[in-house]
Amino acid sequence: MSEGQDSAVSEAAQRQVRVQLTSKQEDIALPESTGPILVPTGLRRYALSTLVNNLLSSEKPIPFEFLINGTFLRTSIDEYLTANGISSETTLEIEYVRALIPPLHIASFQHDDWVSATDVLSATAPAATWASGATFSKGQERILSGSYDGFLRVWNMSSETIATSPAATEGGHTASIKAAKFVSPNQIASASLDRTVRLWKYTEEDGGFSGKIAPQLELYGHKSGIESLAVHAPSNRLLTGSSDHNVGFWSTKKADAPAAPENLLPSSAARSSKKRKLNSSVSVPQRGPLALLSAHTGPVSAAIFDARDSTVGYSASWDHSLRTWDLVTASLVDTRTTAHSLLSLEHLPDHNLLAAGTSARHITMIDPRASATTVAAMTLRGHTNAVVSLARDPHSSYGLISGSHDGTVRLWDLRSTKTDKEGVVGESVYSIPRKSLEDEGKAESKRVGGEGVKVFSVCWDETVGIVSAGEDKRIQINRGEGVLSSTKE
Amino acid sequence: MDARKASKKRKAVTRDVEEEAGVFSGDELSGQDLDGALSDNANDLSDSEDDESEIELIDDVSSDEGEEEEEELDSDEIPSDVGEEEVKKPAVKEWQADEPNVRIVKDANGNDRYLYDEINPDDNSDYSDVEENGNTIGDIPLSFYDQYPHIGYDINGKKIMRPAKGEALDALLDSIEIPKGWTGLTDPATGKPLELSQEELELLKKVQMNEIPGEGYDQYEPLVEYFTSQQEIMPLSAAPEPKRRFVPSKHEQKRVMKLVKAIREGRILPYKAPEDREEKDENEINFDLWADEQERPDHIMHVPAPKLPPPGYEESYHPPPEYIPDNKERKAWEQADPEDREKEFLPNDFQSLRKVPGYENFVKEKFERCLDLYLAPRVRRSKLNIDPESLLPKLPSPEELKPFPTTCATVFRGHKGRVRSLNVDPTGIWLATGGDDGTVRVWEILTGRQLWSAKLSDEDAVNVVRWRPGKDAVILAAACGDDIFLSVPPIADPEIEKASLETLDAGWGYAASNPTPSASDETKKSAPPTWIRPSSALADLGVCAVIPLRYIPKSISWHRRGDYFVSVCSGASTPASVAIAIHTVSKHLTQFPFRRRLKGGGPPQTAHFHPSKPILFVANQRSVRGYDLSRQLLVKILQPGARWISSFDIHPTSSSASGGDNIIIGSYDRRLLWHDLDLSQRPYKTLRYHRKAIRAVKFHPGGRYPLFADASDDGSLQIFHGSVTGDMLSNASIVPLKVLKGHKITGELGVLDIDWHPREAWCVSAGADGTCRLWM
Repeated sequence: MSEGQDSAVSEAAQRQVRVQLTSKQEDIALPESTGPILVPTGLRRYALSTLVNNLLSSEKPIPFEFLINGTFLRTSIDEYLTANGISSETTLEIEYVRALIPPLHIASFQHDDWVSATDVLSATAPAATWASGATFSKGQERILSGSYDGFLRVWNMSSETIATSPAATEGGHTASIKAAKFVSPNQIASASLDRTVRLWKYTEEDGGFSGKIAPQLELYGHKSGIESLAVHAPSNRLLTGSSDHNVGFWSTKKADAPAAPENLLPSSAARSSKKRKLNSSVSVPQRGPLALLSAHTGPVSAAIFDARDSTVGYSASWDHSLRTWDLVTASLVDTRTTAHSLLSLEHLPDHNLLAAGTSARHITMIDPRASATTVAAMTLRGHTNAVVSLARDPHSSYGLISGSHDGTVRLWDLRSTKTDKEGVVGESVYSIPRKSLEDEGKAESKRVGGEGVKVFSVCWDETVGIVSAGEDKRIQINRGEGVLSSTKE
Repeated sequence: MDARKASKKRKAVTRDVEEEAGVFSGDELSGQDLDGALSDNANDLSDSEDDESEIELIDDVSSDEGEEEEEELDSDEIPSDVGEEEVKKPAVKEWQADEPNVRIVKDANGNDRYLYDEINPDDNSDYSDVEENGNTIGDIPLSFYDQYPHIGYDINGKKIMRPAKGEALDALLDSIEIPKGWTGLTDPATGKPLELSQEELELLKKVQMNEIPGEGYDQYEPLVEYFTSQQEIMPLSAAPEPKRRFVPSKHEQKRVMKLVKAIREGRILPYKAPEDREEKDENEINFDLWADEQERPDHIMHVPAPKLPPPGYEESYHPPPEYIPDNKERKAWEQADPEDREKEFLPNDFQSLRKVPGYENFVKEKFERCLDLYLAPRVRRSKLNIDPESLLPKLPSPEELKPFPTTCATVFRGHKGRVRSLNVDPTGIWLATGGDDGTVRVWEILTGRQLWSAKLSDEDAVNVVRWRPGKDAVILAAACGDDIFLSVPPIADPEIEKASLETLDAGWGYAASNPTPSASDETKKSAPPTWIRPSSALADLGVCAVIPLRYIPKSISWHRRGDYFVSVCSGASTPASVAIAIHTVSKHLTQFPFRRRLKGGGPPQTAHFHPSKPILFVANQRSVRGYDLSRQLLVKILQPGARWISSFDIHPTSSSASGGDNIIIGSYDRRLLWHDLDLSQRPYKTLRYHRKAIRAVKFHPGGRYPLFADASDDGSLQIFHGSVTGDMLSNASIVPLKVLKGHKITGELGVLDIDWHPREAWCVSAGADGTCRLWM
């Protein structure tokens, strides 16, 4: 017996590793500088999480994720050590971060038609932060939706429509809205298949239970449907991508903008016999673009501002290329060509990466800097259809969400990767299905081509959570409760 | 006496003295275990040793019994010496002659005692016949010597000692304690007394008796049952012996008498050895066929017989065992094809030459030889040893040929009933479809959102929709029922829309300036139709012009410039003269270029303009013909061998500059045929992968991706890689890439039409299930 015990003891001693647990977040850092701890190597994430919670002596356990050398621990420590050829004699530096909690469905807002665009106005949203003067009170979050029926709607968090944009006859869009954004708490920009960008004045009355969206400015310049819209309020600039292969650069100020090109105004249409009342009763000022950036050879699917420098713009196109623009001189700076049509774009400034969703069902991380040697730094795989929308994680510089035509929104962490034969490949952390499928009781069923559940737009706000809009005529809000509440304060 | 002499002879000279002991005959000695064994061990010294040991025994006895034993001892010593060396015999004789034969010895009392040597009489001595050891006491009873140890005197005056009685010997032997296995010898190896075990003694005895088994003696030979152990219960016949067995045969006697008579009369001659054969041979005339044969030079007509190698071991009738095949080899040989056998016989072992059977193949070989002489050729099977894998063409893996469509990305749902046709617009943003419900719809290609819909007819189905090529105008041609509708969907920007409308409206004035044909012409069926304006409801939807054709057009194909399009009415009832019509948009003019039906193969099916040359290709059911429009000549006839062509497409880079024309043809008899016009009018490749009819085939336009696809009634699309090189020498390489399944088969129909995205490797398909699908 004693021999057996001895061997067991020696084995246990052999299977221990010295770990140094650290955290970059102040609120969950270990109380005093805890020295290296000896832990059995058989531990996995859950056991380590329990250990850290014990050390923190927190009354409510917080789930943690553990990072060793910048990658998430997905196996036991033992397996990690063997896989990476690290001796168990060394002290492991383990960083722990709050685990992403599976985002829970909060609400769904039903629309009359497919919802193509969504945006959030909250204290943490860019539109509110740019408007330096106005303080935004909590609980006054607004959600903007643009729909294929041509209407913009503003919702409050209790799924009530506060305001709807006017109909086509009263200065509204004459075709489906493809993109919509809050410019400021009282200004909205929208882009549509009717080739116009419109700016709206948004006002609220009655303590926020009703509001009004009034047309402010119509911007003409594109010759085909506008697919994407990016807003930079401090400089009053808009960036649009259109199917006519051009990137539009616009001013939101009436005074700044040049006159609208005559030939593109609806009144110039030769189809006079048509009964369509294109000339609405409301007369809205019409303006043209500051610049039309033309270099793409295919429809431009996305155009964004650089997150740090509003004079730099990026655009992604169906012609497989990603182009960098100097917006001051309206000139093309750089072109990166990939192997697939690019359908969406997001900038991750902390990593100098551009995430581009492709028609080939993945997200390519592209380094736009001239010094970058490879076009694709990383590939995120998991979607089963075209990735048409991307948004940054407001909490972490590593986070990303993507909306795809396969009917899912996926959360990605750039640290959760593995190296494949095709390079670094990331896997999604969570996949959020459409609630409408669950409501129909077909949560597990897979729709061919994402029929009826395609996601067209995603938005991730720190306060509201993940907002996604799709073919199921709904705006769906998901939120990872634990993450948001604890990081807020 | 004989035996005695024999023993004497054998022991040669040494034995002469020894025999005085009398009792111990040589035979007896050899019979004794102990001594016999010893003598053999001591090699050549055998006899003398025997004697010594014998004498020692006696010596012991005599020492016990009195003074005269020393005499005996001495007398014995001499012969023992003599016995040691056989050559000494004559020496002894000499010594006898020189010296007095008296020795003076001291007796027990110290008195002199004369000892006389034995008298050795010559062979011619008188006493030779006297018994040497005979007792000389004469005729006195032996009882007088009862109290003496001797029983008389021999011829030399020596006492004849009383032979030891049985009891005395036994008593003596008992008194001597001989250890078991005692030999009295020393082992030369150890220096210790040599002792033998019982087994060794037993062995020695056997050696002495010549009972040792020789080499090859099997101790455990199986018992041969000479007489069977099984006894028959019943005799074979219980009949008593017939009498004739005991009576001399009269018949035999007669035959014998005949023979005797014949011999007497000289009719039967005794056998004579055939020695006179040679004489006869001299009389015979033998012809030496090769006597005057001369060596001829090597010539095709004179091929000397090949020199055969000398026979080897395996050809022997009794080959060494290593040449005899084992069962496995034998079986392999028997199973092999006679042509494949390494040698045509199997080595066989016959114990003797007389057991060798006749040559089994004798008849067969003679027969074959006869066939040879008759010059009767026998069919020789030529075997092809080709690895079947190597016959397959080396195709690149589909992975290397990416991108190509693999999954369904969008489903376009909205049509009621079948979707008969679809087309992606030149900018690649919109998809136009037409279906059984009489509507034409335009969709956003990526999202599957319907942007525009026009109901052209309530009863008739829309058979074809085709966008006008070119980006300067957005015009959609749709064939619904008997009419072709040209429309401008309200999806483009005002500028292009205006251009489109102007393009379509320009012809009205031209048509008006050319007055309509006379009434008599109009009644004729072949009269070209006039273009008319659509109804106001349709005009509001965007339809600008209608061409009433009176027959149902099933195919529309635009010229690349966008000014002409050709329509084909493939119905069997359509008159041949109006089946194919070429419409000019700018003039609102419809012409019927063909007056007569195309030869061979029923009504025309479909027609396409060549992408770069002024050639119109028209397909009827069985052939595709190319007509030069400028010279108005038939320039090409393709005969794909299909029974009913459904569709065809011309490779977009086809031109004389870049390697020639390539055409793919789909047929209702499930074949997809690739024609290289430079090679032949027959297909270069026939691909038969579908289970049902192929409805549509399409190359990827623009030549950006070397892809083509077909759509079949089995509900699947197949994507192929078909790269055409500019090089005239190399042929097109065709690789099947992917089968796309998803369309449901509705009413025996699967996928009805197919089209490619103009820039991307995406394709769209129209299904009989009312959906269209985008594959990417």
